[in-house]
Amino acid sequence: MRSLFRRWFYGESDPIDDLLDVARQEDLDRQTRKNISKKNIREYEARPEARLSVERMRKRFRWIYLLTAIVCCVFLSYVLLYAVSSLPHLGELNPRTEEVVNRYVEKGLEETGAVNIVSGMILDYRAFDTLGESHVLFTALICVMILLRIDSKNQRKGYEDYYTIRSDTYFDLSHDMILRTICRALLPCILLYGIYILLNGQNSPGGGFSGGAVIGAGMILFSASYGMKTVDRFLTLKLCNIITFVSLAFYSFAKGYVFFMGANGLDAHIPKGTPGAILSGGLILPLDIAVGCVVSITMFGFYSLFRRGSIGTDVDYSRIDNKSRRLRKTGGRKQ
Amino acid sequence: MGEWIRFWLVAVILAAGIISFALEVLGVFRFGYVLNRIHAAGIGDTMGILLVVVALMIAAGFSAVTLKLLLLIIFMWLTSPTSTHFLSMVEMNTNPYLEHHVHRRAEP
Repeated sequence: MRSLFRRWFYGESDPIDDLLDVARQEDLDRQTRKNISKKNIREYEARPEARLSVERMRKRFRWIYLLTAIVCCVFLSYVLLYAVSSLPHLGELNPRTEEVVNRYVEKGLEETGAVNIVSGMILDYRAFDTLGESHVLFTALICVMILLRIDSKNQRKGYEDYYTIRSDTYFDLSHDMILRTICRALLPCILLYGIYILLNGQNSPGGGFSGGAVIGAGMILFSASYGMKTVDRFLTLKLCNIITFVSLAFYSFAKGYVFFMGANGLDAHIPKGTPGAILSGGLILPLDIAVGCVVSITMFGFYSLFRRGSIGTDVDYSRIDNKSRRLRKTGGRKQ
Repeated sequence: MGEWIRFWLVAVILAAGIISFALEVLGVFRFGYVLNRIHAAGIGDTMGILLVVVALMIAAGFSAVTLKLLLLIIFMWLTSPTSTHFLSMVEMNTNPYLEHHVHRRAEP
């Protein structure tokens, strides 16, 4: 120890440097051993000069990786910058890009019958896109149902505590007087406002997505304040499926009819109505209602599935209810 | 003269509302426990909304907008305390270590 210190003091050797070197060498060996196969390991250990060649190869490959990365980055940057350079300047009137926008603004009211240009755009000119969005919502609901739904088949035995915690009866605060009174006053306003947004989509800002979201939120509030059992009386899984299917099928058939009857709905013979009236805009109002149904059912379905794993009463909650009632007697939580 | 009185009234009430909002933000970010934070958030959601909207009502004069703003106050005063109450009830029902934060009365 003393000699080691003296040697380090006089600059003959550095013990820390030696340690680091050894560690680095071991690390390197492990890495190279991981990279070469078992058959090569024997050769590698038999011939000391093989180690040198493997390290040289690793260095060469690192150089190639670096070069490939640089080439890819430069190429992608060049392509993207080229694409950006061909965009029109901000505020410049460019007939190539402004044509569609000008068409919507100038002829939108005449061709779709909707005062709200956005509604006319998403439900008439680009109705196919909105159809895809509705189907995306439907698919998302199906995926959540696949992952989270509890029915008689996958209700596992021995996990009752887990489902007790998850079941809506455990965290159910719907017996709360304050919440019930407030919701009795607010819910009609919220639902009525949602229906107003939904039905007035062709005349004012709103439409299927926003109105459906308001209605879905109102239904979530309703189920939170009056209990899931109250909602189960009128909204079962079967009814949800029927509403969603009928909405999407109606949308598909109505828009398919318009698309196949001729360009721009010329031969479809759907009355446009007087702009500004509630029954105007041709197909926009029925399509708005269809989209709103899908959106509200999807929102409420997400809530219901995440809260207790089902829409409607297809789970036997009686056993779970008894257990949670016992838990609530002990202060509402486990002790 | 009347305009000046109205201006200063609006300015004072608006400043009071903004101060209560500032207190809310300070409390929400500085307190550690959820019930304290709810308490701080309730200051701005009721007092701040009331003061700011009343100042706007005075500033805009009596018109249809006044009624809309009154509706805003009613809606916020109904919903915000209810959600606060609901949050605190969830905390009371689910937190197993409630005694570390809250001194509870013994239940009869």
